[in-house]
Amino acid sequence: MIFNTFSYFMLFLFPAAVVFRLVPQTWKAWVIITSGAAFYVFFSITAVGGFLGAVCLGLFLWEAVFSRLYHPASRWCWIGVIQALIILVVFKYWNFFCALVVSPDSPWRWTDAFLPLGISFFTFEFIHYAVDRRAGKTEAGTFSEYLAFILFFPTMVAGPIKRFQDFLPTLRSPSTKWAADFERGTTRILCGLVKKFAIADVLTAFTMHLNSTDISAAQRWLLLLWLLAYALQIYLDFSSYSDIAIGSARLFGLSVKENFDWPYLCTNITEFWRHWHISLTKWLTDYIFIPLGGSRVSQPRVYANLLMTMFISGLWHGAGLNFIVWGLWHGSGLVIHRAWSRSHLNPSPSQAKKFASWLLTMTFVCIGWAFFVMDLPTVMLFFRRLFIQ
Amino acid sequence: MTTIIQWCEYLGGVTDTPPRGFPMHITWLLFGFWWTLLTALIAMFCGQSSKFIYIDF
Repeated sequence: MIFNTFSYFMLFLFPAAVVFRLVPQTWKAWVIITSGAAFYVFFSITAVGGFLGAVCLGLFLWEAVFSRLYHPASRWCWIGVIQALIILVVFKYWNFFCALVVSPDSPWRWTDAFLPLGISFFTFEFIHYAVDRRAGKTEAGTFSEYLAFILFFPTMVAGPIKRFQDFLPTLRSPSTKWAADFERGTTRILCGLVKKFAIADVLTAFTMHLNSTDISAAQRWLLLLWLLAYALQIYLDFSSYSDIAIGSARLFGLSVKENFDWPYLCTNITEFWRHWHISLTKWLTDYIFIPLGGSRVSQPRVYANLLMTMFISGLWHGAGLNFIVWGLWHGSGLVIHRAWSRSHLNPSPSQAKKFASWLLTMTFVCIGWAFFVMDLPTVMLFFRRLFIQ
Repeated sequence: MTTIIQWCEYLGGVTDTPPRGFPMHITWLLFGFWWTLLTALIAMFCGQSSKFIYIDF
């Protein structure tokens, strides 16, 4: 969807990147704004949300206008955070909470519910800006610079989640190395597309069987194979998306931070989360974990903070109980690793121990993916078939 | 392992600095071949109409 369409490259990326390079500096932000708005309307109408989805472009305009009220120590920043959360909760979680609190057939359900394009990601950027403006961690930028930040279409839909203080310098003085940016950016995009089309999509032949009918009939080794295929697929799928986003930004001459750094080579779960979806992990650390007290409180509080952060991470990934369990699974892993490493600090483990740690981490992560890909009754059936019968 | 990672990252467009031993004198030829290979793979496998799966956005 979107990044693997011809329209994305021909109608938006290449024209916008070339125009951005050619216009004077004062117009560059407006090139991003115009192309981002056109991108949002086009893909809302053709891919998600339809006409109502396109109307959600107004959310960006409102946010950009409202953000002019933000100042260090201002209460308007909190109002900005609250309104971003309301937008996220109403669109993404309304029906989930209705079903959970009232009943699945509740009259309060929003029957024609839709998700505005990129809502999970742009709301996080709204919250980041409000919080950092309040703390004085970022300058305000101009109206057009902030609008360009939130409407920069390569990262708008699924990240990497940017920071305004990182984006502003690159917007104000983008790279002028046309040839190098074109060569590196295009290589990155092509590799991303190959990862997506030639590997991740092909793995669907295995992962499509992760449903209750096929699980009931499959042999044990097949279940294991399907889960491993999913672990590989989800990594290649999302990292390829980040590759295309970062490569696209490079064509503009703008730099966006990395989102993945070989997470499946990590030898513990804490390290895994520093290498998997890095921009999200940093967001959760800065705006959830640290405000809760971070690691500067008593150990039981630190553990509770880790669990709460990963609970929110799970809920953010999807409005479903299985995502919450996935989040808590990883939260528990982080807690156990923290408790264990405090008493078993070994600065130079042997190769055998490193391998064992890697194997344990991969097993833990793969079990977690079962909760991510299947609903709870199906995942229970999966584990029963895998471990018991 | 570090060498393999450095090669993968350079060939994948992640890093700007080529790894040690990279044949700089035939870079244009190597990347011509590499882009052709990648484009051929994309052409072979595209059109499977799969959305990105990580999140519902």
